[in-house]
Formats: sequence, C-alpha cells, structure tokens
Amino acid sequence: MDPAGVFAVRYSQDRALLRTRKQWLALAVFLIALAVLPLAVGPRLIAVANIMLISAIVVVGLQICTGYAGQVNLGQAAFMGVGAYTAAVLAEKTGMSFLLAIPLSGVAAAGFGFVFGLSAARIKGFYLALTTIAAQFVFHFAVLNLPGSWLGGSNGATVPPATLFGYRIASDTSLYYLCLVSAVIMICGAFGIVRSRYGRAFVAVRDDDVAAGIMGINVVATKATAFLVGAFYAGVGGALWAYMLRFVAVDQFTLFNSVFFIAMIIVGGMGSVTGALIGVFVIRAIQELISTLGPELAVILPFLGGDIVFATMNVFLGGTIALFLIVEPKGLMHRWNIIKAGYRLWPFPY
Amino acid sequence: MSKPRASRFAKLTTAIGLACAFAAPGAALAQTTYGVALLSDYSGPYADIMPLLGRGREVALDWWNAEVGAKLGVKLNYKNFDTRYDAAQTASLWPGIKSEMKPIAVLGLGGPDVAALGQRLPDDGIPLFMSTAGYGYAWKPDSWIVNPRPTYAHEHAGAFKWLKAKRGGTQPLKVGIISSEASPAYVDIARGMERYAKDNPTEVQVVETIFTEVQPTDISTQVRRLVRGGVEVITIQTNTAAVVATKRALQALGSKVPVITSSHNGLPASGKAAGGLDQMEGDYEAYGMGIASDEDTPARRFYEKLKAEYKLVAPWNVLTLMGMSQGLYTARAIEHAIKQHGAQNLTGTKVRETLYAVPVTTEETFGTLPTLKFTKEAPFPVEGLKVNVATIKGGKYVTAATNVDTPALKKW
Repeated sequence: MDPAGVFAVRYSQDRALLRTRKQWLALAVFLIALAVLPLAVGPRLIAVANIMLISAIVVVGLQICTGYAGQVNLGQAAFMGVGAYTAAVLAEKTGMSFLLAIPLSGVAAAGFGFVFGLSAARIKGFYLALTTIAAQFVFHFAVLNLPGSWLGGSNGATVPPATLFGYRIASDTSLYYLCLVSAVIMICGAFGIVRSRYGRAFVAVRDDDVAAGIMGINVVATKATAFLVGAFYAGVGGALWAYMLRFVAVDQFTLFNSVFFIAMIIVGGMGSVTGALIGVFVIRAIQELISTLGPELAVILPFLGGDIVFATMNVFLGGTIALFLIVEPKGLMHRWNIIKAGYRLWPFPY
Repeated sequence: MSKPRASRFAKLTTAIGLACAFAAPGAALAQTTYGVALLSDYSGPYADIMPLLGRGREVALDWWNAEVGAKLGVKLNYKNFDTRYDAAQTASLWPGIKSEMKPIAVLGLGGPDVAALGQRLPDDGIPLFMSTAGYGYAWKPDSWIVNPRPTYAHEHAGAFKWLKAKRGGTQPLKVGIISSEASPAYVDIARGMERYAKDNPTEVQVVETIFTEVQPTDISTQVRRLVRGGVEVITIQTNTAAVVATKRALQALGSKVPVITSSHNGLPASGKAAGGLDQMEGDYEAYGMGIASDEDTPARRFYEKLKAEYKLVAPWNVLTLMGMSQGLYTARAIEHAIKQHGAQNLTGTKVRETLYAVPVTTEETFGTLPTLKFTKEAPFPVEGLKVNVATIKGGKYVTAATNVDTPALKKW
C-alpha cells in the first residue's frame, strides 16, 4: 500500500520499487551507513557483517526458489558448496581473478541446481524436498570420491586471497567491502528478477502450477529456472565464503546449514526479498548474541558452570526461532507490512 | 612498655603496615598477564564431552598460573568462546577474540577451528594448539596449528607394528578398516592407513576398507567379508556407534577378531555403549597420549592433585586427560618462551618460535604426552613418535604397552 496521495500515473511509476523521496532518502542513508560501518564498529562486528552479507546472498537465492517459485529446496548449502569449490579451483589452479571467479562459481552452482530443477518438473512438495536433500549427498560424496587432484577430496582445498591491482583482499574490512558490493549487486538483481515476467511466472507457478500452465506459462522451464537462479545466488555466496576462509571442505556445507537457510526465510517472511534479509539479520544476530553473551555469563556466574550457560544459550536460540514461528508464522515482513498499513490508514481501520 | 617506647613501636608498626600496603599493589602490578583463548563447543555436536575436556584444560592452566606462572610473574588469562563446532561461528568470533584478548595462544577443538583460522593465523601471528591427533589434510609445513599427537593413521600404524611383533612371524598383519564418508576427517584417516599399507606391504595388508553410515546399526554383511578375508584386527576410528555395531556383528559371526579404537571412541566409552566393559575383552585402543587407566602413573597423580587442590570436577578418563594435556603443553610452550624472551612483550610469534626450538618434555606434561619435538616440517612431531596401547583384560581396563615406536608415514 502506498502512502496517501502517492499513486502511479505511468507504468514505470507503477513498477518502481521506491515510490517516494523519503524512501529514496532512507535507502541512501542505509547504504551510506553500510559503507561507513567499518569506521564505526570493531573488528568483531565487521566479521559478523561479512557472514551476514554472504548468508544474505545465499538466502535471497533461496527466497527466489522457495519463497517466490514455491520450490522446496533443502540443498542450498550444497549449491553454495559447489560455488565455493569452483572458486577454489579457479583461483588456485588457474590463478583467475576473483572478478571472474565469483560469477563463474555462480554459473557452476546454477548448472548443478538446474539438474535438480528439472526433477521439480515431475514432483513437488515433500518428494521435491527429498530430491533436493539428495543434492546434499551427491555433492558430499562427489567431492570425497572424485580424484583428490580435482577438488582435494577429504583434504579440502585452499584458496589464495583475492587481489585487486596488487592489493590483497584478506583483512576483515576489505572482505567486508567485497561482500557488500556483491550483496548490493545480487539483491538489486533479485528485486529486478521478482518484478520481471520471470518473477511473475514464479509466483503464478507457486500459487497454482496447473492454472499457470493453462495461462501459457512454461511450468517446467519456470521451475528449472527458479532452481537455476537460486543456485546461482548460492554459488556466488559460496565463492565469497571461499575467499573469506581461504579454505573449503565438504563439511562446511551440510544439510544443517540448508535447514538454517530455510529457517531464515521463514522468520523473515516467505515471498519477500526484504524478508529474506531480515531473516538473515535476525537469526545471525541471535546466534552472535548468544555466542557473545555465553562467555560473559560464564565469567559473571561461575557457579552455573560454562556448560550450563552455553547450553541455555543454545536453547534460547531454538526457543526464539520457535517463538517466531508460533507468534508470526508469516514472518517478520508480514508483521512489518501490517504495522506500515496501520500507520498509513490511521485513524481509519481499513 | 613505657609510653615513648610504645609510641615508637606503634609508629614502626604503622610504617611497616603502610610499606606492605603500598608494596602489595606494586607486586601485583609486576605480574604480566597474557590472553589465552579457548575455542569450545558447549552447544554443538560435542557439547556432551566439552565439560570434561574444557575443565581439564582450564584447571591445567589454573595449576600453571598458581605454581609456575606466579614464580615467573606471568598469569595466563583464559576465556572460553563457544564456536558450536561451526567454521562460520569461529570465523565471525575470531576478529573479536583478537581485539578483546590479544591472545598469545589459542586452544582449538577440531576441524572447524582449523578450517576457519588455518589461513589467517600466519597473518595474525598466533599459534593454535590442538588436543587431538593430526590429519593428513593438515599435514603442511610451516603451520601455525600444532597437534601434540601425530595423525590418527600414524597412531594406528604404530599399533599395527606392535600387534605384528606380538603375533610373531613375517607375514603382514591383515587389517580391516571400518570408516564412514560422513566426515572428510574419517576418510582422511582411512586413506592414511591405506597409504601406509601400500608403502609397507610386508608390515600391513588392508583386506578391505568399509565405509558405512556414520551411526551404523547392522554391518554383519560387511564384517563377514572382513572375517572371511582373514583379518587379524579391525581398526575403527570414527565413533562408538561403529565400534558397537562391529562388536555385535563379530559376536553374531562367532568371531574373536579384536577391534582397535582411538581415544575419542576408546574402550571405556565403547564398552559403556556396548553394555559393559567385558564386551570389549581383548580389544585395544591406541593413541599418542597417556592412558586413563586405574594404574598409578604420573598423569594419574597429577590428576589427583588437580582434583584435590584445584577443584577439578571431572572424572578420570580420556577426555579429561586430553584437556589436561592440551592445557599443559600450551602452558609449557609459553613458559619456555618466557624463559627465552623474558616475561615482557611476549607474542604469539615468540611462543611459536620457542615451540620449535625447545621440546616440551614428557616430564613437563606429567606423562600425559610423550616428549614433543616440533619441527616446521609438520604440525605434529615427526620424530620420536610413540603410542600407548590399552586393552581390556579380565574385565579391567589396563595398559597393554607404552612408548611403542610409531613408523614414519609418507604423506597421502
């Protein structure tokens, strides 16, 4: 819902994501705040921001695949792993610049995701979820059993740091800017995709694939494209992950990670790019909060014992996610939209 | 006492008192403190064992502070950081740990710590001290990550050599390997033993490597193949579930082939899971660390001291011992660095340099570890490697052999 007095008179206005000057101003302030963040916060928060930005790219991809196109995907961590390994191989063995390696990692992951997207043409729901779990295992066993000289096998793969004109992008701050720029590009792309004809086709297939087919949408291609796009995002996130840790191993991309990515879009809100970002922020913030609070509480309350304090913190994390699901199953974005609409309509109820 | 005398006495007493009062903070200020970060997993997959391992290393550091550090004028301030055994969590915590604690040493727990920090530690100049055996994938020169034990493959290669000598004859020892592809670490261990057998065909013959599920229930078919292949020992270095499944299969087949385990899935833990220690009669565990048996050893005596004087609330077992050994060899490495470079301005780089220059003797770690001579060739000592072997005899957990020489292995 637009604020009172704001209405579109042209098609371009109708499609615009930002409709008022205040919205443009808010976005500008937000982006400036992100740009100067390393000047204002300590190294710990910069590292947290790096993890959040990488997760944001991966989860936005999952949002396109699952939230918009309705294709259940429990293999996003595997797609991320494909991207990470591709970046590792390209950087280590060919010496390719990260500027090329990152998008190519996305392409490799997209190819892997597309294969599983084709299976989505025949199955859906629970069966599709099982198929995407298979992606996790295919990735895992392929990495471990392919010749060690290809992907490193059980040894994992080391990644040289990204360099730009001789400058080594290895510090937390430089990695932050790499992740930030990548995230901004990918998120802008996501907004563009979801309001394009592909995005509308995703939503149509999600809501009713039979009806979508009758309306002339190529359902098979749409489902496969959703996986392709989602996996591309995961691959880009995986490449950034590889440049951040400079070491990739198969156990960094587990089913558990995929489940957490799903939790992020549920908490943030299905079918919203902004919701995915909010979900990432909330879940990661809680994780970091408990990781920070745990040691402090263990020192302040030594009689409890570190094990009890840390275990309680973990229960708190699980409890918070469960509480979100009970109180706001449609996600925080839904609640934000209700609050925004209520503010704009006030004092009228509707 | 006359009044003037009483007055002089009172003045003298006051002066001494004041001198003590002013001197005390001075003495306290003279003590230099250094940060030691403890990477822990109190809320992840190893949360069940962390309290034991964690207390072991914390109390070992307490002991060092009280009895060694106090004399050197140094205190090691340690703090736990919960990584949930997750590389992402370790990576996000690390910059904060560095800026908050400025640690001169980090005590790690497992693979995620190595993955997250392995490439960063050289830039940060902080060595990471592990408690576990090493891995083939981490076998790289000039490492900032150190393991007090050689690789798991080294440890069992030593045990194979001992078993072959015990059996007698020149025929190679026929070995079966039960592993899992659930973790690259497990695969790495199996590959290491296969490589050893390939390079030493007169010593060991691997009949078959079986990759099962990580928590297997019934592996009778696979174990039958091993028994038919004539295996003399089955090595399992994954977990207790695999040991129990193998024992059940061997019992069903009526076979007495012994099983050999490592520290993390040792005989007491596996016996407990299998229904009693007697279930593991004649089986072995082997690793390059002290054995937490009931015998009177220096390690046991040190444990009793920590329990009595430093409030160590953890049972005498391999996990507590592992934590103690980790705390001890880290503290001793720092102690050597203090003696070489002085108590002031100590850095992680200096600690690492000293670690390579001065061995940590077995006496210094109260027999919890063998003498550790680190070289830049590998993250673990490659010379003078020893393993200890324990077994169950008459239902009791006893040491079968100590200081068994471990053969040299080629990288795999």
